[in-house]
Amino acid sequence: MRTGIFMAAIMASMLLAPAAHAASDPATEKLLKSTSDHTKFKALQQKFNSGPEVTQACLSCHTEASKQIHKTQHWKWEYTSPEGQLLGKKSVINNFCTSVASNEAACNICHIGYGWKDDKFDFKSEINVDCLVCHDTTGNYRKPAGLAGNVVTKPMEFPPGSGSMIKPIDLKRIAQAVGKTSRDNCGACHFFGGGGDGVKHGDMDSSLASPDKALDVHMDALGLNFSCATCHLTQGHQVPGSRYAPTAQDKGDAHLRGKEYTSNPTTCQACHGQAPHKKIAKLNDHTDKVACQTCHVPTYARGSVATKMSWDWSTAGRMGPDGKPLTRKDAKGRVIYTAAKGDFVLGENVVPDYLWFNGRVKYTLRTDKVEKSDQPIRINHFEGSAGDGKSLIWPVKIMRGKQAYDPVNKTLAVLHMAGNDDTAFWTNFNWERAVAVGMASVGAPFSGKVDFVATESTWPITHMVAPAKDALRCNDCHGKDGRMNWKALGYAGDPQSGKK
Amino acid sequence: MIKKPSPAYALSLCLLGCGLVASAAHAADSDWKRGRIYYRQVCTACHTAELKKPIAPNDRTQAEWAAYLKADKHGKGKDTVKHYFSSHYRDSIKAENAAAAKYANLPEKDLIEDVRAFLHKSAKDGDSPAGCS
Repeated sequence: MRTGIFMAAIMASMLLAPAAHAASDPATEKLLKSTSDHTKFKALQQKFNSGPEVTQACLSCHTEASKQIHKTQHWKWEYTSPEGQLLGKKSVINNFCTSVASNEAACNICHIGYGWKDDKFDFKSEINVDCLVCHDTTGNYRKPAGLAGNVVTKPMEFPPGSGSMIKPIDLKRIAQAVGKTSRDNCGACHFFGGGGDGVKHGDMDSSLASPDKALDVHMDALGLNFSCATCHLTQGHQVPGSRYAPTAQDKGDAHLRGKEYTSNPTTCQACHGQAPHKKIAKLNDHTDKVACQTCHVPTYARGSVATKMSWDWSTAGRMGPDGKPLTRKDAKGRVIYTAAKGDFVLGENVVPDYLWFNGRVKYTLRTDKVEKSDQPIRINHFEGSAGDGKSLIWPVKIMRGKQAYDPVNKTLAVLHMAGNDDTAFWTNFNWERAVAVGMASVGAPFSGKVDFVATESTWPITHMVAPAKDALRCNDCHGKDGRMNWKALGYAGDPQSGKK
Repeated sequence: MIKKPSPAYALSLCLLGCGLVASAAHAADSDWKRGRIYYRQVCTACHTAELKKPIAPNDRTQAEWAAYLKADKHGKGKDTVKHYFSSHYRDSIKAENAAAAKYANLPEKDLIEDVRAFLHKSAKDGDSPAGCS
């Protein structure tokens, strides 16, 4: 009996000692920033077998969340521009993986929902909304490609018969650890746009998950540590700052707390105002002509993750000597050719292109007629000019490539790339069959012929803001070997030299 | 005949169980994101600069990382892994290393647990395998 009492005392001291220590050392105490501990919610103390089951539990408290999500671009993948063009992932064609249509099961791992595999998806379902993809804090939430945005909760062989197993995730643990969105949440899709890390944007890749100050002064993990939502200030799940609705020039003042604004909170001016340069006020003379990003994002793809600068689909489909799909890598071990996708040109630490931009973007849609010529088809076109009073000189990434089109109907092709079927290009490497299925999926006519046309698309450069010491200096633009192509910008020469 | 455990012994088993749960809870409290920063900005940065050969978390399995941390041998036994988490080491590099400076006052064991949590989830067979960037 005495032994038992002694052991109990020992165990009690083991249990209580850390608590006492924590209580006596405020420096080690963690401040719980949320008012809720989700492990304590009964609705989350259960085994979940699917994503919608978790959402149902979330909705038992957050009653309006799905209704809010249903009104967002993240859910609809649709946006009608001020010019009346129907845009959004659901509709547009780009010159990366080209289009979502007929590839939903693969592409829609980045839809903010569960189960969008074809045109029968229920956009009114509240439980189809995926809360965890944005609110997971464990970093372990995954939506494997090919499963239409669904999650895996039991070991699963995929594709069937491949011998490749998908590791399940623990939805209960993830649901009990939800929190505010972080760069990891947004980055799970936005860092990997275009089919891989850094492929699409150039100024967004996985290096921004935990960047240092040199890579981004705002997101610096040891400094300001901005999340995406710090700038993309979200209300009712509406995330401002979409590239479909860009703000080229913000003439407003810095936003004050407590005051309501209708302007875009993601602009530099929304925090820094109109005269941000205090030490060298002369620099403020530039702000009516030059976007902040032009000087403060001197190069993109600076985080050791390459971005694709060019993608030639016309060379796809080659087999190696062994009869298997060919892959080639460059000296750094980076993939520059695959049979599935064709040839790539990669870039790191890239100097942007510069153009006048007034905030209006015109797209070439899949119903528009295109002509093959010496000039590339502009998938999208940033409008603006030196004299319109609305434009600033902006840094952009120009993505170039060749992609499939129908030379008879003269339309860009919708390509059925991915799928465990015998028409998908990545399965059979047959362009005509893959395009036939793709075009049929959107009700577009197809002549049966496939050719390739040069295209280019334009992407704003706005992340990877460098420290002030690394911003462009006068001579970077105005010097003898300055980076600006003044003639392309509408000047006779360097305006500083008097040539206007 | 099975002897019935005394109430005090039963209580001790209960408390032991609670202690284990508390320990697990402590492990779950590890900050994998802080571990990621330290691993990348201290471990990877040094390996890249000195050896030109960083070790990605997904170069090893969870078991291999666990064994490595348990063995506590760095550089094939030339020194210890713990040394690189020590306040002495952080002090020695904090002038040039922002992560070491930021976490200069963090208890060594917390930092090790943070990195352990990051490596566990980011290992080759972890829940979220991660490369160097």
